[in-house]
Amino acid sequence: MDVKLYGLMAEFDTPTELVDAANKVREAGYTKTDAFSPFPLHEMDEALGIKRSILPVLVFFGGIAGMCLGIGLQVFVHYIDYPLNVGGRPFLSWPSFVPPTFELTILLAGFTAVFGMLFLNGLPSPYHPVFNVPRFALASREKFFLLIEAADPNYDQDETREFLRSLNAQEVFDVEE
Amino acid sequence: MNGTGEYQAPKDLERYKSIALGIGGIAALVWFVGFYMSPEQALRSWLLGYVFWAGITIGSIGIIMLQYLTGGAWGVVIRRIVEAASRTLPLVIVLFIPLAFIQYYHYWTTWPATDYAIAHRGWFMTQESWILRSAIYFALLYVIVHLLNKWGAAQDASKDHDEAAKWLGTATAFSGPTMVFYVLIVTFAVVDWVMMLDAHWFSTIWGLLFVAGWALSCFSFCVVVLMYMSDKAPMNAILGKRHFHDLGKLMLALTMVWAYFNFSQFLIIWSGNIPEETGWYLTRMKGGWMAVGTLLVLFHFAFPFLILLQQDFKRQYKRLAYLAVFILLMRIVDMFYLIAPNPRIDKTIEKGAFIVSWMDFVAPIAIGGLWLWYFIGQYMKRPVVPVMDPFLENAVKHGKGH
Repeated sequence: MDVKLYGLMAEFDTPTELVDAANKVREAGYTKTDAFSPFPLHEMDEALGIKRSILPVLVFFGGIAGMCLGIGLQVFVHYIDYPLNVGGRPFLSWPSFVPPTFELTILLAGFTAVFGMLFLNGLPSPYHPVFNVPRFALASREKFFLLIEAADPNYDQDETREFLRSLNAQEVFDVEE
Repeated sequence: MNGTGEYQAPKDLERYKSIALGIGGIAALVWFVGFYMSPEQALRSWLLGYVFWAGITIGSIGIIMLQYLTGGAWGVVIRRIVEAASRTLPLVIVLFIPLAFIQYYHYWTTWPATDYAIAHRGWFMTQESWILRSAIYFALLYVIVHLLNKWGAAQDASKDHDEAAKWLGTATAFSGPTMVFYVLIVTFAVVDWVMMLDAHWFSTIWGLLFVAGWALSCFSFCVVVLMYMSDKAPMNAILGKRHFHDLGKLMLALTMVWAYFNFSQFLIIWSGNIPEETGWYLTRMKGGWMAVGTLLVLFHFAFPFLILLQQDFKRQYKRLAYLAVFILLMRIVDMFYLIAPNPRIDKTIEKGAFIVSWMDFVAPIAIGGLWLWYFIGQYMKRPVVPVMDPFLENAVKHGKGH
């Protein structure tokens, strides 16, 4: 049978084994990799060489954009488009502009954080090949998985399978596309 | 000195203790000279230094209770520092004695009984009741400090973790309701000590300005102490970058809260636009006071805020400690902005004139020197971490993580 493979996935029993294996996988030069665990493993970022997310920077500029929008909106409304005398105060009364500006800053920063996170994670994703492995459901319970994608430049079906086996994996699965 | 053992603070601190006492003592003598020249200015400057340094003491009482209530590694590593800071209360009470002479620097003491504020507030606006109230605040704070420190010591003397956990439970149960009283005590105290300098003016957020500001002072102070301790035994084996990260986050939060409270006060008074409230800000929006206010917006809020937003910055001990010292300096400027522009009894000085006296520098140094001397003495008396605390091991592990 000639099914195109998405990659190979190794199953581990403990988080320590997973992190050790991930370190070796990175050292062997694989880059298109991923790890799955029932709970967050802070060591994983380092072990797989995952780069710091650009999300905080995006959120910062989202906030700046919200701030500019807030100031711009109020200056346009209260000074340019429809100047209105409120209690004899100047049209450009910056103290009263602060709360809406603050709210818009938070709003756009929050939107950027949520939608940026979804976008950078490639979500929503109704289909993903890893779920073709039946035992993968255990990744949310008690087992730990390490994936090497076929798209990786160093990937070679047989060699990579042997390599994953040599990492004390419980079992190595073919992940069908 | 009860069995501090391997968790004893480093002996080098003894040296700083004498330096602090020397500097504080000399500055206090210089201040006495100033007191003979101008009692009013001297006491206003003393109040400036007092509100800053006593703020760390009183703020630390709040932090002790806060860390019992929330738990977390940051609380375990700073608990002995804030406890030592809270035990400076006897010194803080002694340093308060000059301030009891309010007839020298509280303008309202010269007002006639027909003044509407005096007439309306009655016995509240007398020197006797003012002193009595301060005595009550100190008595209540002393009870809180005594109990919290007693339980802290009992925990260290515990035979096992179970007994230590029992004391932890006692302190936590006490902290919840006492926190409410603490905020009320601080509110009443700072209304008497600072807000009454301009007794025709009032603000209902006044107490919270100090609760937040003093907590910020206290956290900044803890970061500086921890930075000093971080490369010396035994703290070098305990502290990790995540402890500093957590404290940095708390500093960021309180920087924002400080700005939020201050702006709320300003916005409400600005919107209300009624004469009895706006005068306070009108004085502070002219000439030199305006410059001080702008300085605060930029360097008490904007600059620390933008710096502390960055994750990496909070994990670097040294840089965070430098920023903490900077924030502490800004805290003094903030107190200066609240205290110095208030009306004076001395009518030869123009109302609202911008004055920075040499005593505004001498008095904070004098009080600071004496305070640090006393603090170091207290800090060295007990282990630098709660050795028997069941959460100590986890707290150490937390610091070393990512």
